[in-house]
Amino acid sequence: MRRTHRAAVAAVLFGVALAAVPIVAVAGSGSGSVTNQLIRRLNRQLLYLAVPIAVLVEVILLYTVWRFRSDGNGDAEPRPTRENRQLEITWTIATAIVLLFVGTASFHALAHPAVSTLPNGPHGGQEPGGAPEGAVEVNVTTEQWEYTFEYLDEDVTTDDELVLPANRPVYLYVTSEDVIHSVHVPGLGLKQDAVPGETHLIRTEPTETGEYRLYCAELCGEGHPEMLSTVRVVDEDGYESWLTERADGDADSGSDDESGNGADDGSDNESTDRVGGGP
Amino acid sequence: MLETIPGVVVAAVIAAALLAYYRLRSGRPARSFADGGTASVTVGLTGTEKPAGLLRWFTTVDHKDIGLLYILFGTAAALWGATDAMMIRTELLVPETAIWNVETYNAVFTTHGFTMLFFFVTPVFTGIANYVLPLLLGADDLAFPRINAIAFWLLPPSLLLVRGGLITDVMGMVLGVLPLDVSALEALEPVGMGWTMYTPLSVEMANPQISVALLGLHLSGVATTMAAINFIVTVLTERPDDLGWDRLDIFSWNILVTSGLILLAFPLLGSTLIMLLLDRNFGTTFFAIEGGGPMLWQHLFWFFGHPEVYILVLPAFGLISLILPKFCGRRLFGFRFIVYSTIAIGVMSFGVWAHHMFATGMDPRLRASFMAVSLAIAIPSAIKEFNWIATMWNGRLRLDAPLICIIGGLSTFVVGGITGVFLAAVPVDLVLHDTHYVVGHFHLIVVGVIPLAMIAASYYWFPLITGRMYNQRLARVQSLLLVVGSFVTFLPLLVLGYEGMPRRYGVYPAEFITLNQIASLGALVLGVSVVLWLVNMVQSARVGPVVRDADVWNLKETGQFTREWQWFEERLEERRDGSTRPESSPERTRAGEDTDSDSDSDSDSGSD
Repeated sequence: MRRTHRAAVAAVLFGVALAAVPIVAVAGSGSGSVTNQLIRRLNRQLLYLAVPIAVLVEVILLYTVWRFRSDGNGDAEPRPTRENRQLEITWTIATAIVLLFVGTASFHALAHPAVSTLPNGPHGGQEPGGAPEGAVEVNVTTEQWEYTFEYLDEDVTTDDELVLPANRPVYLYVTSEDVIHSVHVPGLGLKQDAVPGETHLIRTEPTETGEYRLYCAELCGEGHPEMLSTVRVVDEDGYESWLTERADGDADSGSDDESGNGADDGSDNESTDRVGGGP
Repeated sequence: MLETIPGVVVAAVIAAALLAYYRLRSGRPARSFADGGTASVTVGLTGTEKPAGLLRWFTTVDHKDIGLLYILFGTAAALWGATDAMMIRTELLVPETAIWNVETYNAVFTTHGFTMLFFFVTPVFTGIANYVLPLLLGADDLAFPRINAIAFWLLPPSLLLVRGGLITDVMGMVLGVLPLDVSALEALEPVGMGWTMYTPLSVEMANPQISVALLGLHLSGVATTMAAINFIVTVLTERPDDLGWDRLDIFSWNILVTSGLILLAFPLLGSTLIMLLLDRNFGTTFFAIEGGGPMLWQHLFWFFGHPEVYILVLPAFGLISLILPKFCGRRLFGFRFIVYSTIAIGVMSFGVWAHHMFATGMDPRLRASFMAVSLAIAIPSAIKEFNWIATMWNGRLRLDAPLICIIGGLSTFVVGGITGVFLAAVPVDLVLHDTHYVVGHFHLIVVGVIPLAMIAASYYWFPLITGRMYNQRLARVQSLLLVVGSFVTFLPLLVLGYEGMPRRYGVYPAEFITLNQIASLGALVLGVSVVLWLVNMVQSARVGPVVRDADVWNLKETGQFTREWQWFEERLEERRDGSTRPESSPERTRAGEDTDSDSDSDSDSGSD
């Protein structure tokens, strides 16, 4: 009797642990950029903890309901409630330990330079400058409802897509001309609100070439859902040739690419192969 | 101006006023009562003595009448907000703007938020507390019956102010047919700046209705604060001498803590709204870039906004803690720890506001400390969940509709709570913030827990309020539908968030269509469930079987026949005796309870 009981409990626990696997798979593996790898790895760690806990609590809840349900006749009398301080303290500490793990793991990811950047500006923002040699620096300016990407040191400004080289540090200085927007590239694990009057730094390093969708993630008026753009990560050669092409193209400004931005770009952009964090 | 009004109209107004005056005089009971003078002869919808007409509802200061008014108002607002929600889910059935344009979509989710947060949840809980709190305490009424009435009557105008854009639109369309100038009406459009009203967008939007809505929100905040003060004073001073803090029931505890949060949070919202109003209309620079800056708004707003989250949910926890044991046949497990956790949540809720702002580029050291508190606040919530499950363990669960609601609420709370931990972890929040994940997370609680607790309460106290019984089978089906609907609607949103779909998108990339359609299907289930509840309530209040035995839930058997039910039993007896004693006598109620507890040590466990 006791043994079958234990076996059942073990089976349930095993099932619970298994349940975590498909859900974690759905949540996606990290790739695309160093930032995304860090965040997705943290997310995976948390999911391996959270999904079993959630399933376990749900199973206990349903089991309790099933076991102690009243079927009208021959029920056991309910036992009077007695306070159990030990039990209370136990589950408080157990929860605290789990959350302590969450906090520690999150803090490790948070402390990584690809996830957070320390302020150097007067208002807690980050002013351009201070990027190491070889880094790509881009001013990302948002306004209702489009983006402008200005490549520092390169004399290139675009507004249809952000082209970045793979495997090089990237420094994006995000600001806004009017209301608050947010630069949100889920495939690269990037998000930074664009606040007027402030400049904030996104620091990352793309690792995989491909196209990633760039959303505005802060309500900014009527054009908000159509304020989409693309981040295209290319290899070093591709980046260099794109830069030269653009630098020439800028001379006769507003050539063939002018229409690409904003409203009609992202929503039916079939070529975007890497939206979201999915594998 | 005056002379243009026809004499007939003036005469009609005067006649109506006179009539109302005489109705009031003749309809008023001869005696004055402790609860403020014009208490009604009967309470509830099916009293044997007829009330003094419609006027009673406009002049009442009886806590039970006002409670019903609150509940009716909150329900009406909920249905309005739910209509918004259905409009949102309908629009999201397809990626393009098939039904409403983006502007309307923005307006709809904005008013959905306002209506649900300020005019549905808090008023309904205030109504429930109005009705049962004095009964649970054994008090005559709330401490300030007239303030109670004022607090309620401020709400309908504030709702109209907030939602005015839609009303004026409709009025403009109707009046536009006539040869009148309706441009003033047409200038007011439904507000579309999001319920968080982030500056500079909310300052720069031209729509004058935004300023009107700000006034409405301010007014509703005044009303909410007045009600909160009333509850605090009532719990502090209107308890009978023998009801110490150790015996105060769990629902009153939760209302007390909630009211404390309201008292500290809502006045701040009020001042912040006024600052925004001044920025919009009088050229001040509180939130301008050259002034306080746009971040100031977010700090002030979320300093209110996060306690607000717990203002919404703590009364629901209180109802769960109160009702759950009644259907388990045993007292609440870990009563003291649940109270401690409620207080802990109340205190900590003021230290987590910046977790709504992790993506704004705050100093990471500051983010880390807010992350710590945000994670810590999960502990008291978990304690509650464990204690509720422990209450059911070793009990005898009667799976009536209220218990189904509560079990459903506990199951959604597990998912809703744990998904919140992910948002507290700053790096994960950076990718999930402002995506549908957030929407899914908090709706699992604001739909999966709060309305379920309210509906559990509506079923639990329905006999006490109306004197009739509802259709129990329909109620069980309805509760199950609501639980299933919550999961079907909001779990897909979590996945959508992981895939990167931002919230507040009326048009969205085509690859998100499947999950959005599943969510809309779930919303339909929720809608059906709400309609079933409404039909059951209205129809049962009219023709449901009359309750003759006050012990509807067999509470005496397990010694949980608490004060409000004792009061109900007395009322039934009075009615049976044909006596017209208008006031419930708290002394008698308490005396009756005391003899009960002598005979049964487990008695009155709700307050132990």
